[in-house]
Amino acid sequence: MSARVAITGLGLYLDGFPSAAAWRERAPQREGEPQKPKGLAYDRVNRRRASQMGRALGDAVHEAMQRADVDPVTTPVIVGSSIGEASAMIGLLDQMWREQEPMSPAVFTVSVHNAASGLMSISMKNKGFTTSIAADYDTPAATLLEGIGLLATGQLAVVCACADEASPKSLLEHAPHWDLLAGAVVLRRVPAKNALAHLSVAAPGGEAGRPAADPIPPADIPAALDHNPQAGLFDLIDAVLRGDRGSLRLDRGKGRGYRAELS
Amino acid sequence: MPPLLVTGYSMLSGLGRGRERHREQLAAGRSGLGACPIALDFETAVGAVRDELPELPAHLQPWSTRLARMSYALLQDLDEPLRRAREKWRPERIAVLLGTSTAGAETTEVAYRQFVAGGAFPRDYDFQRQHTFGAVLSVVRELSGADGPSWMASTACTSSGKTFATAQRLLAADVIDAAIVGGLDTLCTMTLTGFHSLQALDDKPCRPFRANRGGISIGEGGAFALVERDGEARVLVEGIGETSDAYHISAPHPEGRGAEAAMRQALASAGRQPADVDHINAHGTGTRLNDIAEAKAIQRCFGTEVPCVSTKAYTGHTLGAAAAIEMAFAALAIEEGFLPPAIGDGPIDPEIEVNIPTEKTTGTFDRVLSNSFAFGGNNVSLLVAKA
Repeated sequence: MSARVAITGLGLYLDGFPSAAAWRERAPQREGEPQKPKGLAYDRVNRRRASQMGRALGDAVHEAMQRADVDPVTTPVIVGSSIGEASAMIGLLDQMWREQEPMSPAVFTVSVHNAASGLMSISMKNKGFTTSIAADYDTPAATLLEGIGLLATGQLAVVCACADEASPKSLLEHAPHWDLLAGAVVLRRVPAKNALAHLSVAAPGGEAGRPAADPIPPADIPAALDHNPQAGLFDLIDAVLRGDRGSLRLDRGKGRGYRAELS
Repeated sequence: MPPLLVTGYSMLSGLGRGRERHREQLAAGRSGLGACPIALDFETAVGAVRDELPELPAHLQPWSTRLARMSYALLQDLDEPLRRAREKWRPERIAVLLGTSTAGAETTEVAYRQFVAGGAFPRDYDFQRQHTFGAVLSVVRELSGADGPSWMASTACTSSGKTFATAQRLLAADVIDAAIVGGLDTLCTMTLTGFHSLQALDDKPCRPFRANRGGISIGEGGAFALVERDGEARVLVEGIGETSDAYHISAPHPEGRGAEAAMRQALASAGRQPADVDHINAHGTGTRLNDIAEAKAIQRCFGTEVPCVSTKAYTGHTLGAAAAIEMAFAALAIEEGFLPPAIGDGPIDPEIEVNIPTEKTTGTFDRVLSNSFAFGGNNVSLLVAKA
């Protein structure tokens, strides 16, 4: 079991619910409101360069940072994503082999996995730590553990953000489809003012294989998000919003079994 | 933070497979750059791995890709320290923290080309087992017996450098006792074409820091290191700097400000002074912008005496694997007491005022700084020291 840290901010983006606040209130966007993520964490130039997933991440990070009242110039940001900028990669492959056109250098530079974290650090003028990681369905757990490691070694607060774009249908022809989802939590060392909950991450099979606390059921998630590799972070955010305490799987049963213990 | 104990390391690149092969090639000043095995409509030299790669065991065949087979080669060459680590630490306390830029893109692009041409993917193509970042992690966990936290850092050309820092933090947080760290990447058409589209590729073998340099040569390969809470270390990673330029998605800060901050952070985290560093394994990609910016940053931190070599003239730029491979070269310099010559045609750029030795240098090297910089403005410096 990892050290215990505080959750002091939450952010979310999913289709129809552009924030954690909207999800908590089950207040969907009204017709006529923009249905696409805005990319609030980016400046104008970099917002244009960010992918749809990157913009959703930007909205979730912005909301979480505002709630936690942390400084975007100095707070480390960890971005987790299972497939990253896969649609940019498919676009480049299509350019090369379907359209047989010269490759777009602008698209190439934002096809890297760390495009969103890079554009965010430029927009926020953050010259400190950023990273981008991936671990399939264990990405939420990995992102939280990376954050807990940073807090254990001197950082006061970190942003752990996860997102995956809609699954690429051509490459995942026979696998269940999922839609875009982004979430973010701000972790802070304890004791912390305004903590929404306290979190430890438990390894699979750790502590004799039993959860340390009562199980928390997964969120009542839209069906199109169930297979999104970041759904476990959604479950965590939903549980914190509801004030649940207990043990929660961070992978919806699709990964190695990391759990969040909320107290 | 306590230094990271590196109890074993393995490497694979255009220079060949294994520590001894790399030692020989670097000592002889022989480059591994040559003709590109991928058909392209432009000229470029690459550092292709030409060694036969081991096939995965039968039960892992669905995961078999060039990247996964590279990981198997690197694990085989780390076998002895890994065996000792498995005897000492519980499997769930041994992490697998790797870095890659392309993951399984090489396999996907071949499959996608067939899909475009014929409307169907190859029957054995599996995106989740062959493309995703998690695919090779599964293979490494299975083959190594490590069952601790595992994830892939993917911050372009600093990816594998990040893994050393993560391991250091997870050790400090008492989440793990040991970790397999490092990274790997393969050549692929998309990357080569992408760098060509940026006009960043040299059409000849790259010539870092030379006046007539024309850009990058891409390479492939990887390096793994075993780091442990205690044990008999071959070398230490004493300090690590991780910074961002916050300047541009693909160009370095022209004055190398973020690079300078990473180098200073690595020194500070180890409690060392610039004078304690005996050699710098430079990022040195061979592009006009990078080499000038990095040289300025080195000069501000260290002056002009410390010998700086870019080993990308030997291996090419191995992208997500570069930081780990160059950390292994730093370890070689410390253990073997020599620096490879800075190879490449032409005179050193007169705008570059740091010391670029064009002959092999022998001596005692107690501390080597290894730099890696990336798209996204991401910078990592590793300070490697004699154990």
